[in-house]
Amino acid sequence: MGFETLIGAFGEVFAPGNLILMFVGVTAGLIAGSIPGFTITMAVVLTLPFTFGLSPVEGLSTMIGVFVGGLSGGLMSGMLTGIPGTPSSVATVFDGFPLVRKGRPGLALGLGVWSSFLGGIISAVILVMLAPQLARIGLEFGPWDFFSLVLFALTITASLSGENLTKGIIAGLLGLTIATIGSDEVNGVARFNFGTDILQNELKFLPVLVGLFAFSQLLSDVRSRDKARRPLMESSAKAVRVEHFAAVKIILRHWINLVRSACIGVFTGILPAAGGSISNILAYDQAKKASKAPEEFGKGSPEGIIAPEASNNATAGGALITMMALGIPGDIVTAVMLGALLIHNVQPSPTFITDNPQLAYGIFVAFFLAHFIMIVMQAFCLRAFLMIVRMPMYFLASVILLYCAIGVFALDNSVFNIWVLFVFGILGYIMKTLGFPLAPIILGVVLGHIAEVNLSRAVGTSDDLTLFLTRPWSLFFLIVALFSAAFPWYQRNVGKKQWTLFYVPLASLALSLPLIMMGGVVRPAIGCLLIAYALYKLYRRHQSGWALEER
Amino acid sequence: MTRVNRDVVVALVLLLFCGVFFWESFNIRLTDFGQMNSAVWPRAVLAALTLASLIYLAQALRGDFRREAEDAESAEGAPKEPGLIAWLASYRNAFYCYGLFLLFLLTLPFFGMLIGGILFVFCALTLLGSMELRLVPIHAAVAAGTVGAMWAIFTFGLRVFLPEGVLISFN
Repeated sequence: MGFETLIGAFGEVFAPGNLILMFVGVTAGLIAGSIPGFTITMAVVLTLPFTFGLSPVEGLSTMIGVFVGGLSGGLMSGMLTGIPGTPSSVATVFDGFPLVRKGRPGLALGLGVWSSFLGGIISAVILVMLAPQLARIGLEFGPWDFFSLVLFALTITASLSGENLTKGIIAGLLGLTIATIGSDEVNGVARFNFGTDILQNELKFLPVLVGLFAFSQLLSDVRSRDKARRPLMESSAKAVRVEHFAAVKIILRHWINLVRSACIGVFTGILPAAGGSISNILAYDQAKKASKAPEEFGKGSPEGIIAPEASNNATAGGALITMMALGIPGDIVTAVMLGALLIHNVQPSPTFITDNPQLAYGIFVAFFLAHFIMIVMQAFCLRAFLMIVRMPMYFLASVILLYCAIGVFALDNSVFNIWVLFVFGILGYIMKTLGFPLAPIILGVVLGHIAEVNLSRAVGTSDDLTLFLTRPWSLFFLIVALFSAAFPWYQRNVGKKQWTLFYVPLASLALSLPLIMMGGVVRPAIGCLLIAYALYKLYRRHQSGWALEER
Repeated sequence: MTRVNRDVVVALVLLLFCGVFFWESFNIRLTDFGQMNSAVWPRAVLAALTLASLIYLAQALRGDFRREAEDAESAEGAPKEPGLIAWLASYRNAFYCYGLFLLFLLTLPFFGMLIGGILFVFCALTLLGSMELRLVPIHAAVAAGTVGAMWAIFTFGLRVFLPEGVLISFN
């Protein structure tokens, strides 16, 4: 059964039409990722309308192609010009650019490309192994647990996506409010239509998303008249020959760094909201700490290129794990993919892999394949990138604004969708200008329905609201939500205030409780380990006289 | 207008928004089927949003967003001088885009997606870019080429029937 499904998935992914789509997707992602200001999310959002007429496997393969291409594209501009194409390539610039200035651009690009490739492949292997296991755990979830999981996803998104937690929470709650406009999914009752007919049906996810994200992003890019008229990049970068063999040899010499960085990427990807922009910095930091030559970092160290590039591509695998195993988007990109699945009437949930094995295997195969295509296309895209960056931003913005309109119209041939796009475009721009993060609002829109349906199911099953606290998984997610909400304060005060000394031990102790409640052997054992760790930490701090940690 | 004042205004607008939506939630029809009526979830979310907005208001009054204000003031495109005119001028491109997009939407039934789209892109290119005569043919060519290509891909490739308008009908 499994082998036949895998063969079937291979057949679908390697079909000539799908291969062409993936090549186009990866190329588009590589170019989009290399243009500063044109984020991977924007590229994936703009790909979505093209997938309406495609099969789910074709649509998802194309989007995965764009995603993987985008993650690798950022390194081109970062290394050749010193300006990272995407936030996930920020740390790549620290050593990539100095290595290029030392006269080794071919080696720098080779290290970046092959680290991206190998990091992605490692995460693909973890995705194949972990997603079905996590989905099995997901089958234990009841509506109480799912509701708490959504709460956790929103809280961590709010706390990680902006400097101000309050603004993040408001953004998330606004997203949840937007999701309540229109027809109620549970009882079919119209809500917040203000007596009009046009709001009888629920607002479609795509126009809201494109309006909030793409529209507002484009307008931010052309806000300044001078910036709008300047070329995307003013640089004298030239196409170079990539030193593949030399790069692979160096990477294999630093294989521990590669594997560690890929694991950091996967783990960061699994966490909602924590994407490539965080993982590349984390991996760079860890690589520097573990290096035998930390003084070389910042001067063109190959280790400083391997770590961020391996981790940012690996993040994609992690984000896909959460989406496929639990039906919860890990970030905006997977939220868009989730939207694409919903358009094709596929409901991601813990039963997704067992209910749609061919599609699930198709995603696995496409994720692997996208990395091979990325290696092939990188050299070609380097030339395209150098041509495109000479174009002024306003050319790109004007054309894409209209493309957004055509794309949302194509969803169900409705001009109303373009009006929704317009209204949410204004809202997104205002929120962005006022410093509200957009990721929580978008996840709020996506997760709002899931939260409400599960709350309704929970209340329908039992009147006992204490089940949210007595069911182990629900309690687990509520505790993580609580500590993730407090995380920004912890981060701001660590090393300054005494209470921060208790944050980690307290979190470990609190999390051990639901783990012990879960029963069995492994989970209570992990719970006991957490207790031991918390006690050890407290003991060490007591020994040091509760001295504040140096940062 | 300083950042602190602006955040206070935003917090008050949010509270007003919560009030209006809370009021409207009483117009949600209550059903006698289903365990949880349709107004419960929106009201719970609105209650949380109201609380968060109150905290935001308190933070804004306390001046917690001063550093953000300094960042916003030094950002590229931010108004260099105080006053409404300078503020409006700093958002000129955004106003152009939204104005043109609104015009495009209002005239869509007349021009259709192809002609309306070409006009929108051409006007956007000219207003955001430069109104120099030598750029007009370039902008026109880019508008016609890109919109024509998009229109062809969606119409013939993806079989999407884009609005035709009354000016040109292909049927």
